[in-house]
Amino acid sequence: MRGNDAPETIVEAKDLTRSFAMPAGPVFAVRDVTLSIRAGEHTAITGPSGCGKSTLLHLLGCVDAPSSGTLMFEGKEASTLSDRERSLLRLRHIGFVFQRFFLLPMLTAAENVELPQAEAGVPRDERRRRSLELLDYVGLASRADHRPSQLSGGEMQRVAIARALSNRPRLLLADEPTGELDQATGEHVAALLDRVNADGTAMVIVTHDPALAVRARRVLTMRDGRITEDVSR
Amino acid sequence: MKPSAPLSPTVLSTTRGAFAFAWRSLVRQPARATLGILGVAAVGALLFDMLLLSEGLVISMRDLLDRMGFEIRVTATDQLPGQGQDILDGADAASSIATLPSVRSVITMRTEDATIERPDGSELRTSLLGVGGGSRRPWTVIRGREVADTGLEVVVNDCTATRLKLEPDATITLRATCARGAEAPPPVSFRVAGIAEFPFDTPGSSETGTTAAALAAACGADVDRSADFLVVTSTGDPDKAAAEIAALRPDLRPFTNEQALSQMERGGFTYFRQISTVLTTVTLSFALLLISVLLTVSVNQRLGEVAALRALGFSRRRVVLDVLSESALIVGIGGMLSLPLGALLAVWLDQILKGMPGIPTSLHFFVFQPQALWMHGALLAATAILAALYPMRIVARLPIAATLRNEVTG
Ligand SMILES: Nc1ncnc2c1ncn2[C@@H]1O[C@H](COP(=O)(O)OP(=O)(O)OP(=O)(O)O)[C@@H](O)[C@H]1O
Ligand SMILES: [Mg+2]
Repeated sequence: MRGNDAPETIVEAKDLTRSFAMPAGPVFAVRDVTLSIRAGEHTAITGPSGCGKSTLLHLLGCVDAPSSGTLMFEGKEASTLSDRERSLLRLRHIGFVFQRFFLLPMLTAAENVELPQAEAGVPRDERRRRSLELLDYVGLASRADHRPSQLSGGEMQRVAIARALSNRPRLLLADEPTGELDQATGEHVAALLDRVNADGTAMVIVTHDPALAVRARRVLTMRDGRITEDVSR
Repeated sequence: MKPSAPLSPTVLSTTRGAFAFAWRSLVRQPARATLGILGVAAVGALLFDMLLLSEGLVISMRDLLDRMGFEIRVTATDQLPGQGQDILDGADAASSIATLPSVRSVITMRTEDATIERPDGSELRTSLLGVGGGSRRPWTVIRGREVADTGLEVVVNDCTATRLKLEPDATITLRATCARGAEAPPPVSFRVAGIAEFPFDTPGSSETGTTAAALAAACGADVDRSADFLVVTSTGDPDKAAAEIAALRPDLRPFTNEQALSQMERGGFTYFRQISTVLTTVTLSFALLLISVLLTVSVNQRLGEVAALRALGFSRRRVVLDVLSESALIVGIGGMLSLPLGALLAVWLDQILKGMPGIPTSLHFFVFQPQALWMHGALLAATAILAALYPMRIVARLPIAATLRNEVTG
């Protein structure tokens, strides 16, 4: 479709800095990060606690604004977009997976997956069909009508991944997606994420977990807000 | 940006989505929802009653005045009938007013206290109304017949008939205590022509009606041309008739029903409106606080979810609308429940208030009118919006990244 041999760049960050004003002076969570994420890429961000991984992920996902530097998302500068346009961009192009899942407890698994499609105005039948497809994809077809409270942690995270894929995003961002899971369940979720990437969705995963990081083809290591290593295999 | 799947968010689907969503959020915390709905139902019922009370007495009084069929009351002073001086030449005033072009008929009204004595020795205090001139009577005969123009006849109200076991054609002895006439007039024998309903009948009180001439006789006077007040029917334009009366007799004061009502409104009736306004404000403030606190607590409990939805692309407008819809649902359901509740409460309160002595049977304090329903809806809608303002603001200003981070670290 895109006709190019080199995969297209989805996100391009240039000299990205994010500081927080604090009584004792500004805290630099992210400093001068220059980085691009291409279509289909599988990237992990690792580093010690407090080095700025989550902050960088939030900048890449357009839920936070840099203090300086620019972030181009699919050729558009994110800072020039209105809040409404940024919401729409996230809705259509970015999927988020959180450590704590954040499924809505009053909705069934299928309804949770439908939610972003409903916000995007997808007709009811179509989104129902797509939600069941996605639940089937994450291996939870039989749990479509179950509430989050009836699911295990691993199952909740799989539903959350299905929800993140709901509007066919080109980029999936995950912050410690296995952080709340035991090792076996975490591996199951990691394998699912691998499959999502293999099926064409670019992915940036923030993790402490070396087992999850080694699955990525590209590993960024951060320290004190900077990327100190960028290794691709 | 590359267009991906065909997406067409419409206002309609967003709004409907928000309502369905809000409904789920409500059901999710049944205790909170129940508390909010019951609170609104109670407040709404009170609010509804206050609205019925604020206009009830005026509406009821207007209805009562209209049903009597007289459009103008003429008194000697600026006081309403029953509160001022007598018209000393009442009968003459009535006949000259009757000749005015816009006046159809005039009668004089005079009331004296009396005691009804029965041969078996029973007696009852009554209010004896003497009506002169014209053919219209302020009472409505329900059994028997009207009092004859000449002779000593009365109609009595149901209460009197029951208490003294009177039937038409019975004979009673009346001993009147009069403002004019003999000091202690002798008892006079009257025939009961019929049983009648008196418009300002109060429960348990005895009313007796007769002609002006018969009343004078009961007072021991040959003739008495005085009246407490006159009542007039116009040929169709009460204001014009009132103006003609005022021109003819500058010493008298004509009140149309509307003027009488507005005088009453300026007088005692305003207390009800003031009480109603104060209580309405208090109850609404209570509802406002209750809903606002419930929504704020509930929103604060789900900041993480809201931030996650925002990260997933939900617009600020949408998450704000969710909060507003939830408020609207709580207030809407509570408001619906409040109507039957308020109606029951109004009936009960009306009975209590009507237990006060001297309140006419057909007068009500709580009277339904459609306007109260609209006002009720509008005030509750405003409450729903105001109560949602603060929680809506929390959601609108929620920093997505910081909230997501706090949910993990905090
Ligand atoms: N909203 C904020 N206000 C103040 N300081 C912040 C805020 N967000 C992040 N920081 C600071 O920025 C730094 C990086 O935070 P961040 O959450 O990105 O780290 P992290 O690498 O994700 O850590 P962890 O592995 O523990 O999740 C930290 O020092 C943190 O205290
Ligand atoms: Mg983090």
